[in-house]
Amino acid sequence: MRNRNIITGAFVLAGIALFALVIFLVGNQRKTFAKHVEFYTEFANIDGIMKGSKVRVGGFDAGEVTDIQLPDSPAAHFRLTLSVVERVHGLIRPDSLVSVASEGIVGDKLLQIHPGSANLPQAAPNSTLRSKEALEMSELLERSAGLLNDVSGTMKEVSTKLTGTLDAATTTINNANDLVVGIKQGKGAIGVLLRDENTARSVRETLANVQQATASVSDASMRADRLVSDFESRNLGEKVDQTIASAQSAAQNVDASALQLRQSLTSALGPDSHGVDAANNVRQSLSNVNLASSNMVEDTEALKHGFLFRGFFKRRGYYSLANLKADEYRSNRSLPAATNTRAWLDQPELFDNRPDGSEELSPEGKAKIDEAMAEFGDGAFGRAIIVEGYSSTGDTGAQFATSRVRATLVRHYLQARFGLDSRDVGIVPLRGVPPPSTNKKTWDGICLVLLKPRASAR
Amino acid sequence: MTESQPTAIVFDGVSKSFGSKQVLQEVSFSVMQGETVCLLGRSGTGKSVTLKLLIGLLRPDIGKVLIGQDNISSLEGDDLSRLRRKMGFLFQSAALFDSATLEENLALPLRRLTDKSKSEIEHAVLRALAEVGLAADRYKMPGELSGGMKKRAGLARALVLEPEILLVDEPSSGLDRITASEIDDLLLEQKAKRRTTIVIVTHDVHGARRVGDRFAVLDKARLVAFDTLQCLENHESKTVRTLVGGQ
Amino acid sequence: MICTIADGGRLKTFLEFIGVIASFAARVITSAWRSPYEFEQTWMQVGEIGARSLPLVAASGLALGVVMTLHTHSTLVTFGAAAMIPKVQSLSFFIEIGPLVAALLVAGRVGAGIGAVLANLRASEQIDAIEVLSVDSFKFLVVPRVVACVLVLPLLTTFMDLTALLGGFLAEHALSHLSAQLFIERAFNGFAWSNFVPPTLKTTVFGFLIGTVSCYYGYTTDEGAEGVGRAATNSVVLSSLLVIVADVVLVKIIFLFFPGSAL
Repeated sequence: MRNRNIITGAFVLAGIALFALVIFLVGNQRKTFAKHVEFYTEFANIDGIMKGSKVRVGGFDAGEVTDIQLPDSPAAHFRLTLSVVERVHGLIRPDSLVSVASEGIVGDKLLQIHPGSANLPQAAPNSTLRSKEALEMSELLERSAGLLNDVSGTMKEVSTKLTGTLDAATTTINNANDLVVGIKQGKGAIGVLLRDENTARSVRETLANVQQATASVSDASMRADRLVSDFESRNLGEKVDQTIASAQSAAQNVDASALQLRQSLTSALGPDSHGVDAANNVRQSLSNVNLASSNMVEDTEALKHGFLFRGFFKRRGYYSLANLKADEYRSNRSLPAATNTRAWLDQPELFDNRPDGSEELSPEGKAKIDEAMAEFGDGAFGRAIIVEGYSSTGDTGAQFATSRVRATLVRHYLQARFGLDSRDVGIVPLRGVPPPSTNKKTWDGICLVLLKPRASAR
Repeated sequence: MTESQPTAIVFDGVSKSFGSKQVLQEVSFSVMQGETVCLLGRSGTGKSVTLKLLIGLLRPDIGKVLIGQDNISSLEGDDLSRLRRKMGFLFQSAALFDSATLEENLALPLRRLTDKSKSEIEHAVLRALAEVGLAADRYKMPGELSGGMKKRAGLARALVLEPEILLVDEPSSGLDRITASEIDDLLLEQKAKRRTTIVIVTHDVHGARRVGDRFAVLDKARLVAFDTLQCLENHESKTVRTLVGGQ
Repeated sequence: MICTIADGGRLKTFLEFIGVIASFAARVITSAWRSPYEFEQTWMQVGEIGARSLPLVAASGLALGVVMTLHTHSTLVTFGAAAMIPKVQSLSFFIEIGPLVAALLVAGRVGAGIGAVLANLRASEQIDAIEVLSVDSFKFLVVPRVVACVLVLPLLTTFMDLTALLGGFLAEHALSHLSAQLFIERAFNGFAWSNFVPPTLKTTVFGFLIGTVSCYYGYTTDEGAEGVGRAATNSVVLSSLLVIVADVVLVKIIFLFFPGSAL
């Protein structure tokens, strides 16, 4: 009997001791018996974190989630109470971030408290730590896939366009080179120009500018190629931005150089009756340069308006009505449509000639524009206005340049006078030929087109 | 059998049935204090049931069972317990607790039902065992005892509380004639020493004739006779005469 | 008992059986709270049911632990997840295998024992003898056994869990010479109290079922010697069945209250 009691007692004691041992082993893992500090954090998406989920501080198992307060509205957040051992308190600073992580691929979800800045004091117990929301994996994939599609398409387009532009520019430059060589050798009619050292230097410098501009175009094109090849890299959007920007600035350089060249030649050759032939040659070449550069501008623009990339550019902030491509404009059904309100303004009413031959808006012209805007009424605001520029004098290049200048002048005035958003005012140089729907054969001057309200942002 | 003697037990119009089987039907008798009554009858006539009704293990369907002044069949809990303290029961198979030694078997009622100290209990147990001649076997387990020893030990346990009423179920069953008479001797000794009221259920007419004062004969669920030996030997019923006399 | 009536009364008999068992269980519960308490008897039964089941439970745990590790080792090694073995071992035993197997072993050993012992007490009039001594035989015989089962099963389960862990360690040590400290470290890494305490304490319910069912068959049998064998068999069958059924429900309840314990 006594023996049996001893055995029973030993059994019960051993059982209880082992039970306690397991409790202790588990508790030891959970750091239950250490001193704890509590913190709070808030998440919109707790991503499967539960009461009892582990909390790691700098990768060290430091405690667990002791409470989850549910939000009462979609705007509110889950409020989690984290209990961590006192010993890691020193790692937690007011700028510590809390994020959700998982323990391996199939492991539990856990919270990670990232140690904060060493120069800040310890985070106060019971303070609320900032959280970093977890990105849903699917969301992330979707986003990056969309981005890659956009970018790869754009890259291809950019590279072909740039190559085309480059070819045109190269041709132009070659022409200019020939010219320069001719000039240097003092051959033919151009040789006449050599007598004037100033003119010759000016021409040479300008041509050098053109060459430089061309080089920068080709550089841009190379960059685009490089971009296409490494579009998997992370800063894709940034690189696209840079490339586009450099392409644009290259085009602008060409533009500016061409203008400069023309001006210097005009001033050099204009008054000289002897250099007519030479002047014509030079003019022809220059208008080629001009055309090429404006082609390039247009090409870049076309990219922005292209059906596939419009969205992309718009999202990236590129798209605006500011510059429309003439061909596209003419063939577009809604932009030049007869249903749009139009105000035709004649060249003599609008512009005065400056001494150097360029045009500027005359006071009467400004009054006319005000009048036209008044006729458009309140509807003009918040709706898109296209300024069609017309010029039927000179060859194609001159027409183009002049009509563009005119449209630009009017646009600047509209923006300055009426505070219109640059995205809402578009210009289109149409030389002398209005769109077919307007029933006008030729025009010299400006036409303001008030577009019908846009159904959607385009 | 003087009428002045107070009654110890009254069985008043008791009927008992198990399912559809009627075991006792309107049985009435009474037992005086200090008297020894032997219940006789063929197997399955309700003799053991009568004993169990007396001690409250079973309850009658109809009728009353009075122990002294108390109707045992209406008592519960402590009242029943108090009443039972006055009674001892020797089971047919002795019913010693298998898991306890002889000494513990006897000590249990003392510990449960009295305020005696440990040494008093030990003393009482020893005395009770000595009375039945088992003092030397007190540390044995029931399994180590022979049939007669078990019966004697069972008797010792029934008597350890010095009951006023002793109920005995088949004291001689499974025992040889000599051993059975040893039990009868013990019962007679008890009767002589303490004037204990004894009710014995038995088949052993020989033993019953030695011990019993009056005899009750049960047949077909009814009490057919209840009287002294002399009267029953001349009873009109052959069954009664056979049971008591064996003639 | 269940299949005695063939004439369409089978459902009624079944329901009656459920009712009788349920009221028996209710009687156990109500009696257990009323004094006098049979501490001595309960202690004896703790020894009988607990201490004497320990060798069986511990040996089974050790063997199962070894077998389990041998199985999971070959599988997990192919996945390069050998480090998971201690955790698989501890979680599977602490959460489910330990409690269930311990309960089934007890149902087998103790259920039969209780059924047979009580049936024998009934047949040999010892229950009547106890009653005659003004002792409530139900409280004296049934309640201590049920209480002992309830108290002892969590302890036996703990023994089972830990011997299984020991067996697992020995097997793993033989296979890969893993150190005991690392084994324990890995076994309890990511282990929550809800993985141990609720599953271990749920065995009190198993203990109650085993004790009650076995006592019911033993205490109420009235068929003499042949009833003893039948009581033992019925005890084992019904208590094992109830343990498994109850486990399903309890696992669900534990998930409800301790969502963290779900794996």
